[in-house]
Amino acid sequence: MRYQYDWWYADPIMNTSKPLMRQNPSAKNWLILALLLVLATAVCFLLETHVTLTSQSMIYVLAVVIAAYKLDWLTSAVGAIGAVFALNFFFVPPRWTFEIESQEHFIALGVMLVLALVISRLATGLRRETEIAQLNEQRAQQLQGLASHLSEVQTTEQMLQHAQQALDTAFAGPNTLALSKDGVALTDDGMRQCVVDAATLGPGTGRWPGLNAWYVPLGEKDQITGAACIKPALANDAAGLEHAQALCAQLAQSLWRLRLTSKVQAAQTEVQRQQLQGTFLAAISHDLRTPLAAIVGAASSLQTQHDKLPMPEQARLLGSIVSEASYLSTLTENTLQFVSLTNATQEIKKDWEAMEEIVGAVLSRIRQRDVNRRIKSKVPEGLPLVKADPVLIAQLISNLLDNALKYSDGAIDLTVQADAKQLTVTVKDHGPGISEAAQAVIFKPYTRSDQSGQRGAGLGLALCKAIAQAHGGQLTFSARKSGGSSFALTLPIETQPAAKELL
Amino acid sequence: MTLKVLVVEDDREIRALMQSSLSVEGFEVQTAVSISEGSAILRHSPPDVVVLDLGLPDGDGVDLVKEVRQRQTLPIIVVSARHQEEQKIKLLDAGADDYLTKPFSVAELLARIRVALRHRGTALAVAVKEHQLDDLRVDLVNYVVESKGEVLHLTPTEFKLLARLVRSAGRVVTHRQLLVDVWGAEFTEHTHYLRLYMGQLRAKIERDPAEPRHLLTETGVGYRLAVN
Repeated sequence: MRYQYDWWYADPIMNTSKPLMRQNPSAKNWLILALLLVLATAVCFLLETHVTLTSQSMIYVLAVVIAAYKLDWLTSAVGAIGAVFALNFFFVPPRWTFEIESQEHFIALGVMLVLALVISRLATGLRRETEIAQLNEQRAQQLQGLASHLSEVQTTEQMLQHAQQALDTAFAGPNTLALSKDGVALTDDGMRQCVVDAATLGPGTGRWPGLNAWYVPLGEKDQITGAACIKPALANDAAGLEHAQALCAQLAQSLWRLRLTSKVQAAQTEVQRQQLQGTFLAAISHDLRTPLAAIVGAASSLQTQHDKLPMPEQARLLGSIVSEASYLSTLTENTLQFVSLTNATQEIKKDWEAMEEIVGAVLSRIRQRDVNRRIKSKVPEGLPLVKADPVLIAQLISNLLDNALKYSDGAIDLTVQADAKQLTVTVKDHGPGISEAAQAVIFKPYTRSDQSGQRGAGLGLALCKAIAQAHGGQLTFSARKSGGSSFALTLPIETQPAAKELL
Repeated sequence: MTLKVLVVEDDREIRALMQSSLSVEGFEVQTAVSISEGSAILRHSPPDVVVLDLGLPDGDGVDLVKEVRQRQTLPIIVVSARHQEEQKIKLLDAGADDYLTKPFSVAELLARIRVALRHRGTALAVAVKEHQLDDLRVDLVNYVVESKGEVLHLTPTEFKLLARLVRSAGRVVTHRQLLVDVWGAEFTEHTHYLRLYMGQLRAKIERDPAEPRHLLTETGVGYRLAVN
């Protein structure tokens, strides 16, 4: 199928020098005719001594037949007359004059003239039929090829490209195509009118025959997606008009299919979005209610039983209120950030940032929860700068470190490395690791691999991944051979900003 | 003499919380629920420090900060939610002294107020000439920076940058303020200069540049020279 398509469709010679249309007669035809007559005359002279006038006239008739088959009707008719005159002038006695001596020669020449004209008429008719058959064949092939090709097209842009190419292959042009998108009016008057009328305009259509082009709407009434302007348009070229309409019908069908597909996709996305929102609300409300319950419980206990509670118990309840509330605060922050990041309407604000600074700021905050200094950081000097939103990157690294502190014991390694293309921040812990089943879903929002009764940061990892992606980077997980988890954030390194010599 | 704090905050609970926790610490607390009420109090009985919440119903607070700055040097501390980054920076650039991000602890609020008040004292008297914390000593008069008893060699720009932070020690200095004061007004977009010079300064001053003790990063806002 592909081969066939290439053969007629993408071949540049075919496309430029021999479009699928009738050629106009030209000076070349007259030259060929003259050559044929000269050749016939020359042959007659050569054979003069061996043959009679009858054979010589046959040679001229042969030239007329060839001319009639190869050239158009007008040329070949002129050729027929020319042949009779040439025979008369050169060979019919008295030679070298147009006079005719005998009555027999006069009749013979008259018969030959009629014969030549009849033959030329028949031969050109035959040739035209052959041509039309070939043209129809080529047009049928084009339609078939276009259909198979359009069925593979995925976007409107691709489709328009192929459509334009198809029109230019079939018609000399200039041909134009335009889509009427969502009620946006077409700028070309002819196109607009044909869309309004839902019918083809131009020569041979009975509508606006004075136009120099065919204006074909793409699609049936009420489903018109655009219009095409096709040139040249001739009133007597019914087959050409039919082909133009057939091409446009195919394009319209393909366009309609694309529109339907995109509508279906939009509907599917909407369903997914609603499902996600449902899961989101369920997960969020669970994550919010649990700490709220703990806070309300502890606070109301302090309020009502204050006097009966021993001091250590009071302190424990207060501590629980503070820690639950700070958990709620992180969760709220993550949720809001996640929603705003995944609602791609908002561009993140990036500036040149030093990763060592971001890491330093995160560490200074997180050390309050890392009193035993389990986090060991390794940040080399002279790291390249990255284009990033520092608040988001800090939030990402905080979330990773918080998780590591929560879900593992022992040392946590925070390392930053850079090569020519990217900067990598790795957080490795020595915890129990993440089960393979859970690995598949850790970056999905609103799932938690938490089986131990500990609470996670809700959609923390999903947010981390969204932050990485919003920076053109990646967040990946790998299980460590020695047990434990390793999360790696990679950010692309862009061309460093020019800085004056540092003084 | 009792120090007066003006709290401009529209949320009743937070206002009550601030009032009670600041009163306990010995401050005399005035409260306002809107910018207009706040500026009325500022005119009639000027406080010693202002705690200004962002997102008040009648404005973004920039005008209030500008108004205060025209007449008074009293410190202003901006209280903002996480998503109000830009507005917060706008207020700091307009002349606010420091900021707190909600939710904050009472201890944080008190620490910020203490730093702000200390500055007001020095700002009224003479400009800061010296800074010392742990092993770091900066003498702005004689252009000397010492770490662990040894004199450090700083480039002119490094010194200018450090000196700018010393003059606002303990308070946040925004990227914009640093760029304008050290490089000039046309360099406000050249944040990468700050990153590079800050990296160099840390390499010279800090024991562990990856976890700085002195030159603290206020992510997305600016830098702060630690005072304790």
